[in-house]
Amino acid sequence: MQNVRDTAKEIRRTVIEMAHHSKGGHVGSALSCVDILAVLYWKILKLDPWQERDIFILSKAHAAMALYSTLAIKGIIDRTILDGYCQNNGTLPAHLDKLTAKGVEVSAGSLGHGFNIGLGIAYGFKNKKNNRKVYAVIGDGESQEGSIWEGALFASKLGIDNFTAIIDYNNLQGYGRPCEICSYEPVSEKWKAFGWHAIEVDGHDMGSLAGAFEEDHNGKPKVIIAHTIKGKGVSFMENQLIWHYYIVTDEHREKALSNIE
Amino acid sequence: MRNAFIDTVTGAFKKRDDLFIVSGDGGLGVFDDFKETHPDRFLNLGVAEQNMASFSAGLSVAGFKVFMYNIIPFLLYRCYEQVRNDICYQELPVVLVGIGSGISYAPQGMTHYSVEDLGITQTLPNLTVLSPIDPVEARIAADYALCADKPVYVRLPKRGEPLIHTSTEFDITKPQVIENGNDVAIIFHGSIADEVIDAGVKLKQDGIRPLLLSVPMIQPLNIEALLDMVDDMKLVVVVEEHFENCGLGNIIKTIYASANPSWSLKTLGLPFSFIHEVKNTKGMREFSGISASDIVRTVKEFLK
Repeated sequence: MQNVRDTAKEIRRTVIEMAHHSKGGHVGSALSCVDILAVLYWKILKLDPWQERDIFILSKAHAAMALYSTLAIKGIIDRTILDGYCQNNGTLPAHLDKLTAKGVEVSAGSLGHGFNIGLGIAYGFKNKKNNRKVYAVIGDGESQEGSIWEGALFASKLGIDNFTAIIDYNNLQGYGRPCEICSYEPVSEKWKAFGWHAIEVDGHDMGSLAGAFEEDHNGKPKVIIAHTIKGKGVSFMENQLIWHYYIVTDEHREKALSNIE
Repeated sequence: MRNAFIDTVTGAFKKRDDLFIVSGDGGLGVFDDFKETHPDRFLNLGVAEQNMASFSAGLSVAGFKVFMYNIIPFLLYRCYEQVRNDICYQELPVVLVGIGSGISYAPQGMTHYSVEDLGITQTLPNLTVLSPIDPVEARIAADYALCADKPVYVRLPKRGEPLIHTSTEFDITKPQVIENGNDVAIIFHGSIADEVIDAGVKLKQDGIRPLLLSVPMIQPLNIEALLDMVDDMKLVVVVEEHFENCGLGNIIKTIYASANPSWSLKTLGLPFSFIHEVKNTKGMREFSGISASDIVRTVKEFLK
């Protein structure tokens, strides 16, 4: 796992560089799901041959910098494309457009869409007796969307056991903490009541994440409730609401990059 | 019309293994046999329209051509953003099959009417929109949708509409001459067809022979063909069971403003207000000024 941990650091550094270069927000949201993406892309997803690959969907698409960085470091997209992130006449938008880069499986940005598209893809694969799997990262704020619970209600009934949702539970949404905004907890029990196989893990512990991905679903759709820290890896960004929005200045960049080392 | 469309689609399952039907808890009597014979190609995704639309997009990513069936407000309005982002933006070959166009569901109440859907579809690039007038156009619309590698929306009334076309094969992307005439053209689409045919009969009794033109494909609209077909008219009347301010009539008004043709234009549609009257479809058309006698009056007033 050491190499995956090193890769996660490289993804984080790339996210900081992209945020700095673009003067865009959502750096905290991107950093919180980096370890999940690193484990998925380096340990779990079957990507070869590409035509028969597993599908990964970043449903919380405002964390797009994490996906773009991962795709570049994995070699799925050319690293130079990152330079055009959020630029005038650029290459990559702040939220996902599947026409802009290989490996962006679905366009997303509005919350509560990618999860349900993923369920449809997974059901389609099962129906075609294809053993490809589908993974979708959703946010804790995103889990307030009604569409998530519509999909959750049908997925278990339809036996979509080739689908795994990962909740990036960083406990900070756009303007507060989920539990202060609505009756958020108990998360795990809610999903279990909807017929899902739910597992709670430390979303920054690579071994626990890998174990959760490999755990038997028992014929149910799986949800991994990954407890994460918004801004993870950069001490002054960690667990701070402001880093949902703040831009990375020259000074922040320098401090952040040395922090990740 | 509904049965002509659905029978054509379900008939294609015999030859193709990439087709799928998703229903939002509708279709009693429509899919009863089909879901028994093709249990692995039909899903009732219940009263959960957001999930239904995104899920259908996902099925098409996995390689299926999906027909998503529901009453129009629950197909297009409730899940507008899913249709926009997940189907149209991503150019996925999902066919939105909408039932209850216009006020064909009267007197079910405003929640079940579809009198603004063409206003909404004008905000959705990549979406082809079909509004057939009879079972023949509905069948050809189904053939078109089966072959289209893009999002398609088909607005259908319900069932039992009369047969209007005498030919059975034509290019649905173009306006269709239902009856030849001169001086006056009546352009229409969808469920108002019987009023237009009735108006045509009444006008002929008074010595006026209108050109009756159906426009099955509203989006993209074949503007060139349409302008060419009405080129030598004195009056063009557009009639539809739809809000007047955002339907085909309004689209033609925009074209009229830039093309500056020699003919005059009148549009007949439902007034832009919520409907509180409790009337059947026929009664509602009369109340709203889009019945056969309103069409006749509009033409005669112009020719006076």
